[in-house]
Amino acid sequence: MARIVVVTSGKGGVGKTTTSAAIATGLAQRGHRTAVIDFDVGLRNLDLIMGCERRVVYDFVNVINGDANLKQALIRDKRVENLYILPASQTRDKEALTEDGVERVLGEMAEEFDYIICDSPAGIERGALMAAYHADEAVVVTNPEVSSVRDSDRILGILASKTRKVEQGGDPMPGRLLLTRYSPERVERGEMLSIEDVGDILAIDLLGVIPESQAVLNASNAGQPVILDAESDAGQAYDDAVGRFLGEDRPLRFVDVPKRGFFGRLFGG
Amino acid sequence: MSASPSSVQAMELKGRMLLVSVLRVHDAEPHNLGNMLAARRDEAPDLMRDMPIVLDLQPVADAGDAALRAVVQQVRAAGFRLIGLQDGEAAQALEAADAAGLPPRLAMGGRGGSGEVALSEGRARREDPSAAAPEERDSAASGAPVAVHSATRVVDQPVRSGQQVYARGGDLLVTAPVSAGAELLADGHITVLGPLRGRALAGVRGLVTARIFCRRLEAELLSIGGHYRIAEDITEAERGDNRLVTLAGESLNITES
Ligand SMILES: Nc1ncnc2c1ncn2[C@@H]1O[C@H](COP(=O)(O)OP(=O)(O)O)[C@@H](O)[C@H]1O
Ligand SMILES: [Mg+2]
Repeated sequence: MARIVVVTSGKGGVGKTTTSAAIATGLAQRGHRTAVIDFDVGLRNLDLIMGCERRVVYDFVNVINGDANLKQALIRDKRVENLYILPASQTRDKEALTEDGVERVLGEMAEEFDYIICDSPAGIERGALMAAYHADEAVVVTNPEVSSVRDSDRILGILASKTRKVEQGGDPMPGRLLLTRYSPERVERGEMLSIEDVGDILAIDLLGVIPESQAVLNASNAGQPVILDAESDAGQAYDDAVGRFLGEDRPLRFVDVPKRGFFGRLFGG
Repeated sequence: MSASPSSVQAMELKGRMLLVSVLRVHDAEPHNLGNMLAARRDEAPDLMRDMPIVLDLQPVADAGDAALRAVVQQVRAAGFRLIGLQDGEAAQALEAADAAGLPPRLAMGGRGGSGEVALSEGRARREDPSAAAPEERDSAASGAPVAVHSATRVVDQPVRSGQQVYARGGDLLVTAPVSAGAELLADGHITVLGPLRGRALAGVRGLVTARIFCRRLEAELLSIGGHYRIAEDITEAERGDNRLVTLAGESLNITES
């Protein structure tokens, strides 16, 4: 049975798709059979980041509607084994993501894969709720600024009540924080919230910190997940995050002048 | 059809605050309305069940006087504690036709969050004696203390932006952080063993001896027994760790404890 992970944020443009691509690729690199699904119906761009946009025939909505089966729609990554992409439809609207349909497709995929990464659209509407509803855990992508933190807080509140697990009387899904576009210099100048500030407000475990990096833009222009750029700071930071995701103990890098209290709490150090 | 967003708003009356629920009617057809009211009752958080209701007829303003009057009747018959009609064309037209038996027009201010309410000038308080049971009017409108006590409601999860927790008939204990944009309400005391960055309203049904304690005070709004202070009125010196909020006369005191 696959573990279903939703990558979410509330706010748009914070790095959810970048993160979904990187984490899915990182998991596959380690040998886990992994699929990444684009839930952003109407604004698809996961396929661009993954560099498979020219191989899209069928999409998620086609599978939901029964126009195609999973085998036909899943795109196999050319660089990394065990990695598959299920693109979003560009032409439909989010209403096409029916509850039953999403459940059925995820159920079918859960038999085949170890991990299913759901790239959530922004907002707190249907698409985002559908992406989160079946998840076992959440990666909450947040930028170090007040409005992004506030939106993440809102999403965490929604995740605490609107998931299948909770509705069936289970515990709320665990959510971990991925702080992206982090610039230590700007934090020092007081222009951005620090890791400690964000951790203090959201009060969830930290999965990682991804620096603001030109490598992300370069990677997306090249249609390649940034984690494959193993020389780059962002690529390495994502690799650390995947390691931590799998339970490895990895110190934070690329964060400069870290403040102690917060790390002490998070990593028991 | 069904959608009938009802929101909780704080209305201001002579420097005091009263929580009301605004019930927006989107369908005046009796059968549909009946279903909607029943659904509303069932799904309503505890909070709304006893809360005074302001009825917003604006979406069905075209239905005609008779139909609107029937809506008012039906809402009352369903047991909602109706204290006013949201001011607007619908309410004004109704009143122009015949004010007898109608609740007063109230102009709810801001949308969604905390609106301010001014009793409409146009019309003094007249009330059809059959309209609402006297004790309802007492506790709803004058905010008479209701000192029923029940078990403390304990919340161990963070209360996040957009979430609202109400401890009905008792105290509220939150052992986790309360975010900006979150709202705590209790008929009794409120204790937050974490930072309080949202709103906390203790003694919402009039208990003026209710208290609020928090591990760290960074609140957006504090209220006890309807008397409140907004963030702007809370000084830097009053913010900080281990703060106790009490009501002395008309004003909220914040002290370190
Ligand atoms: N760590 C980073 N450094 C620099 N730019 C980034 C970083 N992460 C994301 N971006 C850029 O931010 C924009 C939004 O990223 P994207 O992953 O599409 O966000 P979302 O899916 O949340 O809308 C893109 O232009 C992307 O290249
Ligand atoms: Mg995206």
